[in-house]
Amino acid sequence: MPVLTYLEAIRQGIWEEMERDPSVFLLGEDIGAYGGAFKVTAGMLEKFGEERVIDTPISEAAIVGAAVGAALMGMRPVAEMQFMDFIACGFDQIVNMAAKMHYRWGPAVPMVVRGPSGAGVHGGPFHSQSNEMWFVHTPGLKVVMPATAYDAKGLIKAAIRDDNPVIFYEHKFLYRRIKEEVPEEDYVIPIGKAAVRREGNDMAVITYGAMVWTALEAAQELEKDGLSLEVVDLRTLLPYDEEAVLASVRKCNKVILLHEDTRTGDMAGELAALIAEKAFEDLDGPILRITAPDTPVPFSPPLEEYFLPNTRKVIEAARKLAEF
Amino acid sequence: MRSTILARSSTPDAATLERMLYYLKLTREAELRIEQVLYRQGKIVGGVYVGRGQEAIGVGSALQLIEGDVVLPSHRDFSSFLIRGFSLADIFANWMGRADTPTRGRENTLHIGDMKRGVIPIISPLGGTSPVACGVGMVLKRRGHGNVALVHLGEGTTSLGQVHEAMNMAGVMKLPVVFICNNNGYAYSTPVEKQFAVRNLAVRGPAYGMPGKTIDGNDVLVVYGAVGEAVARARQGKGPSFLECMTFRMTGHSAHDAAEYVPARLLREWAEKDPIQRLEKYLLTENILTRQQINDLERRIQAEIDAAIADAEARALPKGETALEGVYCGPDCWWGKAGVRSQKSEV
Amino acid sequence: MPTNVIMPQMGESVAEGTITKWLRKVGEPVGRDEPLFEISTDKVDAEIPSPAAGILSQILVKENETVAVNTVVGVIDGEGAAVAAPATEAEEEVPSPPAVPAAAPPPTSAASASVVTAAGGPSAPTATLEVRSSPLVRRIAQDNQVDLTQVQGTGLGGRISKKDILAYVEQRRSAAAGRATAAPAPSVQPPSATPAAVQPAPAPGTFAGPTQVVPMTPMRRQIAEHMVASKRTSAHVYTVFEVEMTKVVEARERQRGEFERRNGFKLTYTPFFVRAAVEAIRETPVINSSVDGANLVYKRDVNVGIAVALETGLIVPVIKRADEKNFLGIARAVQDLAERARTKRLSVEDVQGGTFTITNPGSFGGLFGLPIINQPQVAILGVGAIEKRPVVRDDAIAIRSMAYLSLSYDHRVVDGAVAEKFLGRIKQMLENWDEPVL
Repeated sequence: MPVLTYLEAIRQGIWEEMERDPSVFLLGEDIGAYGGAFKVTAGMLEKFGEERVIDTPISEAAIVGAAVGAALMGMRPVAEMQFMDFIACGFDQIVNMAAKMHYRWGPAVPMVVRGPSGAGVHGGPFHSQSNEMWFVHTPGLKVVMPATAYDAKGLIKAAIRDDNPVIFYEHKFLYRRIKEEVPEEDYVIPIGKAAVRREGNDMAVITYGAMVWTALEAAQELEKDGLSLEVVDLRTLLPYDEEAVLASVRKCNKVILLHEDTRTGDMAGELAALIAEKAFEDLDGPILRITAPDTPVPFSPPLEEYFLPNTRKVIEAARKLAEF
Repeated sequence: MRSTILARSSTPDAATLERMLYYLKLTREAELRIEQVLYRQGKIVGGVYVGRGQEAIGVGSALQLIEGDVVLPSHRDFSSFLIRGFSLADIFANWMGRADTPTRGRENTLHIGDMKRGVIPIISPLGGTSPVACGVGMVLKRRGHGNVALVHLGEGTTSLGQVHEAMNMAGVMKLPVVFICNNNGYAYSTPVEKQFAVRNLAVRGPAYGMPGKTIDGNDVLVVYGAVGEAVARARQGKGPSFLECMTFRMTGHSAHDAAEYVPARLLREWAEKDPIQRLEKYLLTENILTRQQINDLERRIQAEIDAAIADAEARALPKGETALEGVYCGPDCWWGKAGVRSQKSEV
Repeated sequence: MPTNVIMPQMGESVAEGTITKWLRKVGEPVGRDEPLFEISTDKVDAEIPSPAAGILSQILVKENETVAVNTVVGVIDGEGAAVAAPATEAEEEVPSPPAVPAAAPPPTSAASASVVTAAGGPSAPTATLEVRSSPLVRRIAQDNQVDLTQVQGTGLGGRISKKDILAYVEQRRSAAAGRATAAPAPSVQPPSATPAAVQPAPAPGTFAGPTQVVPMTPMRRQIAEHMVASKRTSAHVYTVFEVEMTKVVEARERQRGEFERRNGFKLTYTPFFVRAAVEAIRETPVINSSVDGANLVYKRDVNVGIAVALETGLIVPVIKRADEKNFLGIARAVQDLAERARTKRLSVEDVQGGTFTITNPGSFGGLFGLPIINQPQVAILGVGAIEKRPVVRDDAIAIRSMAYLSLSYDHRVVDGAVAEKFLGRIKQMLENWDEPVL
């Protein structure tokens, strides 16, 4: 089986969907002739033509809005945000137009807004954000963030086939850094289901995105101490897999919530409330969360390093929780 | 197959003229009932917006639409909904928040849509429908049947960035979109002098690579003709147009706005140019309709409205728990067939 | 069917409106959608069209009065043109009546102490505050009947961790197995003597099925408090008498027409009962007293409260100094108070100062009732339905108009004999009615 990077897996997923369903088409900035800022769409203009791979002006609101209009007309547009930081320019179209339309008068709005997010690449405040919670907080949307190459292909296909607006976050740090064997045939990973990346008994780390790898590294290290960590990859943030989260908590009784988003108003807060409400009697220790602090993402390497969670921080926290 | 209808003739026949008068009057009377009767009786709650004095724009433009066209009306374009086939009873019931309506109680005012009828409603932060019209236009262009998208917006709405993005995109991609700007003098309490630095918005057209024209928005025949031209251009693949229709907002911004900021002189002046009176005068002078026929029409309209209100009032309100339904679209869609993709994709 | 006219909401943030002008008077007809009244709000002044055709039967909010949005400002009695409220509409806010409903309840402690019981019965051991553990550990302890004070904690600060409790349970099990021949089951630890921090029992009365929660109106809350407080205060005892109403019925029948003609209102049975009660109170003054600590407080005035049922609850307007009124005076007072109660025009004075109360369970068809005493009074008379019944007269069956009278009385200060004497006197008066009605 061929080994693909996370980015190549996404490309393959989109490519296969474009071949399979003529109503799928792409629009975004620099995606056609240039193949996309990160080259996710390289080769697609040549293969599918300019009616299906559309280079747009710099107009996030118009890009997303046009995607809505096309979706209403029966197409399945995939709109790229060159960096998910720029999604803010199309905010109204996502949260007011796309998200609420089905609820308000019933049509399907099958569209995907996809783009790179996340830090660790010296990108500074506007090329590193994790702004997924803006959309997790918006009923009517689905929010997906794969952490592995295999998942990335299966989930982009699921997103394109979903009849709802899906915000698809690709972690730019993972684009070329992770690779694995990815099947060449068609497969879909269901939206809304988490995955246990590593089984354990003493403590569960619930996480998503690039931090899944940080958690796995920490788990490996902690095994030497005789500490058995379970790592759960959420994969979908909205609607998230409540059952999987609670199952791990019931099994391990201690939990760390980990992500690289900033702290206040984050996914960890949502999960902590869920766990406290539904698994209170299964807790053998306080719910811990490891997140970035409440600041914009800074540029200079020592600053960004301080800002981001890392393996060492996870190991320290896990050891303290183990002693409780 | 390309449609052979490029545009309706700009001198419409008697039947079309009578239809125009019917829709103008029906719109005027229905909106009066909504704003000055039902709302004040507490039977309609929430915000109430009507398009009194601006009816010619909706009527003149919607009558140019053919099967397969899509219109994205504003909240001042009640007649567009009627002409596209929404029933009066459904519209009243929607105002009254009933369960059996196109929005099942989730939306009020004219936030009603139906892809089968080719109508996409606004969202309240206006301007959003302009980019959506571009997306519609992209698909219509690709299908090649000569269909167009008409998007309505107010002069205040043109200040939003999204509108400029949409016009730019429509221009550079040569999309079959007609931007119909209803310049009614006021955006809530903001007069045009505070809204933009140019005298007329038609200049925005060429700025984005499309023709721009300013017309008398209170003359339904002028509107019909100008929209017809723009629509013909689009059907022929020549791209978008921008039409600025000059009119005046003869009401407050909403039913709870007394609009004291509007000088009474302006209201008086524009009352003289009332679109319904003008068409009536034309029809009578040209002997296309008699006074008696017009009186009969008015009586029929009142009866239609009475019946529609009675129908709407008899419908039940939605049960509270139904608020949880229909957030996502899926195989067991709560909206039924309407929720499933209503148009098979054609390439 | 009558249609409510409401104050509309003219604007999303507008919460009230002022009626500036009524365009019709009470009793005048109005057509549907015809202008009915004018209002002024923060945002606009507007003319409001009538929601139905009919006669304006009530104006509930006067000109220049300001009321909340959705307040019923008037009522139209329609001839079928009225529009019924649409199905599944939420309960309309009924404006609270201007008067204070019912006498203020006596100052009893309002808080009901909720008793928190440990789930799992009296033998379940309890975790004390001194032992540090966790929700999981406590649950395991409870499931296994473990007293946490007996368990060694190895967690931070001596906390009992999951490891610790599981180890303890395991060790106890194997120890018990090892002592198979010895005395039976491991002893259940007695409950701790110190006040326990226990798991709260589920709230009493939680119901798992679908429910609809409707908040109480202020009037309902007051009634609820008053009723419960009364039961806690008085030693309620009941006695029931049967009264032959023939003379009263005849008197009423004979004279009601003339009465109505002269006085402009109907002659009901209520004034008869009030008169009789007032007379009886003269002879048994303790009925007209109240209890103040260790004292009996006799009231000189006889202020008789008449319970009136409203849609929204119950109200008891009071006929002041009923002992100074004759029959007609009482009849007038009853009529006036009932009318004002129904149109929500009672004042605070109208519902205060009662010394005795009469209520009418019979008006809804009840044979007799066992009403709750209206504090701080010591007795309340319940009048049952007046019905023709077969009774024995001179050893033969006769058909007579009969009614049951029930007296609820406070046995702290009213003994059975006194109560019987009181009711007996009322019975006697009613059965021998001879006072002129006109």
